[in-house]
Amino acid sequence: MKAMLIDTTKCIGCRACQVACKSWNNLPGESTRFSETWSNPRYLDADNYTRIIFREVTTPEGDLRWHFISRRCMHCLTPACASACPVGALKKLPDGPVVYNDEICIGCRYCMMACPFQIPKFEWSKAIPLIRKCTFCADRQAMKQEPACSASCPTGSLLFGERDQLLKEAHRRIGMHAGRYYPQVYGEKTGGGTSKLYITGASFETLGLEHRGFRTDLGDVPQGMYGREWMAKVPWVAVAVGGLCTGLYYLNKRRDEVQTRQGKED
Amino acid sequence: MFQYEKIGLGRAILIGLAALGVIAGIYRLFAGLGATTNLSDAYPWGLWISFDVLTGVALAAGGFTISAAIYVFNLKKYEPLLRPAKLSAFVGYLVFIVGLFFDLGQPWRIWHPMIMWNPHSVLFEVSWCVMLYTTVLAIDVFIWTLERWRKYEWVAFFRSIYVFLIVAGIVLSTLHQSSLGALFLLLPEKMSTLWASPAIGILFYASAIIGGMGMVILESLLSARAYGRKPEMDIISSLAKGLGLALVIYFAMKVTDLYARGVAVWGFDWPHLLFYLELFGCVALPALLLYFPEVRTSTRGLLWSAGLAAFGVMLNRFNVSLTSYGGYRDFWYFPSFIEIILTVGLVAAAILIFDLGMRYLPMYPELTAPAEAH
Repeated sequence: MKAMLIDTTKCIGCRACQVACKSWNNLPGESTRFSETWSNPRYLDADNYTRIIFREVTTPEGDLRWHFISRRCMHCLTPACASACPVGALKKLPDGPVVYNDEICIGCRYCMMACPFQIPKFEWSKAIPLIRKCTFCADRQAMKQEPACSASCPTGSLLFGERDQLLKEAHRRIGMHAGRYYPQVYGEKTGGGTSKLYITGASFETLGLEHRGFRTDLGDVPQGMYGREWMAKVPWVAVAVGGLCTGLYYLNKRRDEVQTRQGKED
Repeated sequence: MFQYEKIGLGRAILIGLAALGVIAGIYRLFAGLGATTNLSDAYPWGLWISFDVLTGVALAAGGFTISAAIYVFNLKKYEPLLRPAKLSAFVGYLVFIVGLFFDLGQPWRIWHPMIMWNPHSVLFEVSWCVMLYTTVLAIDVFIWTLERWRKYEWVAFFRSIYVFLIVAGIVLSTLHQSSLGALFLLLPEKMSTLWASPAIGILFYASAIIGGMGMVILESLLSARAYGRKPEMDIISSLAKGLGLALVIYFAMKVTDLYARGVAVWGFDWPHLLFYLELFGCVALPALLLYFPEVRTSTRGLLWSAGLAAFGVMLNRFNVSLTSYGGYRDFWYFPSFIEIILTVGLVAAAILIFDLGMRYLPMYPELTAPAEAH
């Protein structure tokens, strides 16, 4: 299965990935604005599938250090969105990408509620809106090309490859450069594992992103499993309740009949 | 005659509100969701889901609750309440479906879950149950229409499959009332711990029964007043006793759940205040009120306690789906004018349809028609 290793310590914040993503997906450009976050655009939305979050964090030694964290769909191994979608418009492909089908989506937005990384976005400005999110360039992958973002990355911060090999590489880097990395691969087990693997210079709590798309309280169980477990019980509940109700209905009927007969005999 | 004209004014206002709702709905269809609602990527679900869908379905639970009481628990005395309860359930589900229609990004694809299946999805199951249950309720209403038209041979046919309709109604209601809560099993990390419980499905089911009973009491008393009838006080009082019991059980369930999860229940912020209002003001208080026979036998006491209980269910649905979701990001949501107008219009239309049914369909069979003679 394909995956991407995102080594944020190698990112210089040039945003070539954002530009490449926009060109490949034919997304409209928009005028940018200054804000206290430095990041542009400020949020992911239906026209922005990826963006770099700029973070300036004080190290324990008191120095200021920049972190550039690329944010996009995590392409979960067991995606909550795919478990949530009532019509199966979102699917995890065997090769890795989580893709969306424009033709069958009903626009209920349950995927947006369910996604633990808050990735699916809605075309709010359109009269006939659809969900939009990073596709892991499934169309490019089908042509044996790597995703537009990693192809454009000048520093190798975005590394495309096989998931198991990238995991090995991530742990190799963490082991080689003690102190350079926070010793955890975000996405290895997070939310049941994802196809985007992050190694960062500091924990996501230190970066202040644990409530901004990089939750650290998800555990190793994919969120969608809670719904799947519920659905596994549903048929049994239906049979049990149905059987009980039918039985009691006929019992009551029979009791009434007996009672009326006794009433007549009296 | 005077009585009729008085209701006439009320109807005129309701028709006006419903018409405004229609205009708002048409505008929303052409302008799109972003232009007409205050929904955003941070708040994908708003008033329409919290009220039209979640509250509407919970408060329409009276139909299956009364039906189960009569046919499964053999409490035959509630029979006079059955048809009004089912009619209000039918109207409630119509509101739900119309509300959902306007909430969907692609409303004309509302039928997609029929042929495009995702058996892993809780929402898929909910949509199937709601479709089927609304059909069951529609068949009920159709039977009453047949009675009105005196097509008794047809009525006899439907009576022969009646047990199937009853059981299907109870099973489908059990499934989707609880599954509407199970929708939120997938997003515990986005909700306040006060409501993010693995038991949320069962809690939704129990509170839906409370909402249904509360609404049956309310509409029995209010429609008796509106149509100048005497309310069946002894039956309603007895149902109120049941409501009190259900509230006590639900309170115990809530406390057990909070205790088992070790939730910090004492606090002084918005979620906690709403939580106190919900649990103490709208579960414990009506339960306490209904303990007194004086309350159970007075119209005012019943209106207040049943009203509080039903309001509590609504508050719970808002807390789970909206207020509890807040604080996750630095965004704020309050429904737009169009969202509110459409919802008000839907409620007005629901009352109008209910009124139409009450006036033109045989709602109290033992009083109106020799329908039983089949």
